[in-house]
Amino acid sequence: MGGRDATMVLLDKNGIRCDGRKIDEPRKIVIKAGGLKNADGSAYIEFGDNKILVGVFGPRDVHPKHMSNTDTGILRVRYHMEPFSVDERKRPAPSRREIEISKVIKEALEPAVMLEKFPRTAVDVFIEVLQADGGTRCAALTAASVALADAGIPMRDMVAAIASGKVEDTVILDVNNEEDQAGQADMPIGYMPSAEKITLLQLDGVLTPEEYKKCIQVGVDGCKLVYELQKKALHDKYFGNKGD
Amino acid sequence: MTSTSVIDELKKTQILELLEQGKRIDGRALDEPREISIEINAIPKANGSAKVRLGDTEVLCGVKIQPDKPFPDTGDKGIFMCTAELLPLSHPTVETGPPQAPVIELARVVDRGIRESHMVDVTQLVIEKDKSVVGVFADIVVIDYDGNLFDACSYAATAALLTSKTPTWEMVDDQPSVVEGGEKQLPVSTIPVSVTMGKIGNHIVVDPNGDEWACMDARVTITSDSDGNICALQKGGSDGFTLDEMVKCGETSVKVGAQIREKLKAAQQGGQ
Amino acid sequence: MGDKRKYVIPGDVVTTGPFRPEQNVILDGNKIIATTIGISEIYDDSVKVIPLTGMYIPKIDDLVIAKVNSHTSLSWELNINSCYVGFLPAQDVFGRDFSAHADELSSKLKTGDLVAARIANFDRTRDPLVTISDRDLGQIDSGELVEISPSKVPRLIGKRGTMIQMIEMATDAAITIGQNGWVVISCESPEGLLKAKKAIKMVNEQAHIVNLTDQVKEMLESKGES
Repeated sequence: MGGRDATMVLLDKNGIRCDGRKIDEPRKIVIKAGGLKNADGSAYIEFGDNKILVGVFGPRDVHPKHMSNTDTGILRVRYHMEPFSVDERKRPAPSRREIEISKVIKEALEPAVMLEKFPRTAVDVFIEVLQADGGTRCAALTAASVALADAGIPMRDMVAAIASGKVEDTVILDVNNEEDQAGQADMPIGYMPSAEKITLLQLDGVLTPEEYKKCIQVGVDGCKLVYELQKKALHDKYFGNKGD
Repeated sequence: MTSTSVIDELKKTQILELLEQGKRIDGRALDEPREISIEINAIPKANGSAKVRLGDTEVLCGVKIQPDKPFPDTGDKGIFMCTAELLPLSHPTVETGPPQAPVIELARVVDRGIRESHMVDVTQLVIEKDKSVVGVFADIVVIDYDGNLFDACSYAATAALLTSKTPTWEMVDDQPSVVEGGEKQLPVSTIPVSVTMGKIGNHIVVDPNGDEWACMDARVTITSDSDGNICALQKGGSDGFTLDEMVKCGETSVKVGAQIREKLKAAQQGGQ
Repeated sequence: MGDKRKYVIPGDVVTTGPFRPEQNVILDGNKIIATTIGISEIYDDSVKVIPLTGMYIPKIDDLVIAKVNSHTSLSWELNINSCYVGFLPAQDVFGRDFSAHADELSSKLKTGDLVAARIANFDRTRDPLVTISDRDLGQIDSGELVEISPSKVPRLIGKRGTMIQMIEMATDAAITIGQNGWVVISCESPEGLLKAKKAIKMVNEQAHIVNLTDQVKEMLESKGES
């Protein structure tokens, strides 16, 4: 990866981005399933310079009881950033941004998790961002899906996520921090590869109808790449590299 | 920490029976801490960081160093602060929400152990007196729980501070501005090491693991510096120590502390 | 892996066609899809996935190791390592002449005690009913409790009990395996106990390797300290 310039050129005349990538090239992604001793399921992801840890508990009892649902289990997600994860130290209390992202990730996972099998219980997903560099919600959702599978929570499908975007009037895949700050559009996408459903979609920025369509397509293709790494993470842990 | 999880009576009886014979459930000697692993620079974007494993307890500390306003009554001193958070993924009984008394105690004990040793000299952290100072924030998060967070968090914060790099600032147009090429190691003067001992019945064990922590009656955390002086102490739990026990704990903490200090020094060498 | 068995993760299509979906699979159109990490198996007309992870779901007649959480004057609540808690009525222990006034529950079982129990009844709408009134059940007053993933229990038992018998014979330990992943080891010698614990840990962590039985055998026969 090339170094990052202070006088940023987001896309040069050779189609190379500020960190040396091509327009359809995602950052380096490494996913590990498991790793925590006490959580029922866990996963760790490095997505470029993002470092995110996810722990899952459940299905388990809900307290206070009035929050439980007699017909179906509930999913609770907490997305939380450590004070040292960002450039300027963040205070520990939850910010509005963290609360919104927690909700969006929960709703991206709900179509996949078979909560109806465990009435009156809750599945808790705890996302901890240890180091942030643009696209944390996508990396978090990706790792959360692996952690849920690691915990043995029944799921219809995995959910993989990545952000597409636009810089210099060009649609790109996997927006990093600088591109998010100074670019023209950022579109995080969460996708269920088997069911072929988009379960997370947000947009910041301005896109023409053609660019919008292209962004979604590029994003969905990117999610399929991410899914292969989720699969590899689970295969490495459970099938000892002997998977079919 | 896990006061709501029930330790099975069988395990508690086993722990006591073994202690009567001078043994522990995991085969350690009474004054032997668990295997410690220290990984520095775990969070490269922070000014300093360290991940520490103490048995199955795992904690992570990130140090952020940035300009700040001084406290009103100490304009000639910079700011040093340790915080600690028990992450809900570390144990099934941990709840989300504002920190409860045990976690607040944990953070304050770790903070005092480092502050009272004068490891970080806050008088060297002034950019302009009464106007702008340097804030050194050591934020610790607990990732996996298996007893003795006091020591694990203390080692993580100490290792992170020992290997922290800090910019230099000067005032430009009344605002602190980073001096080009002014990055340096954070100056530290000593290496404080905390050693926590638990009392189970009449026996005192160093570095209680999760099971021992759940059945101990009292505990004491003692921090010593590089000169072998004791600079901070906290007793907790609902039973008491005799005077002789307390004196012995002091001696043990300095002796064991010296061994652990070598590990912290080795981690520091690895980072430079 | 033969044709009939495949490693799967959630969302993987196991097969298509006129099969009946059994455990841990769902039917979507004409696709049979896995819902947990595991090994899929196709029988004559049905498909299931054997899970390699996940919490314990009680089944009637399962032997479980349980820990007493609490009790009222009429029953005990047992932790059976599941999101469901076990319900043990006083009559099961005191007999039909049980009287809430005369008989004190903590005289028989108190909070923190371990028991070997059987699941007497269970459907997902209410907590499982548990019994300890058979000869091989009741309070456990000696031994050490070890936890493994419930999905590894079949591996620890082995085909016709071969794995667990091998461990018991090599270490002189008596091992009671709960279907809920809790295991109690009783052993006279501390070395035997540590070796048995190590063997069980190996099965729990390496259940997927092909020659696990040989590896465990090798470890048990080695002279070195654990």
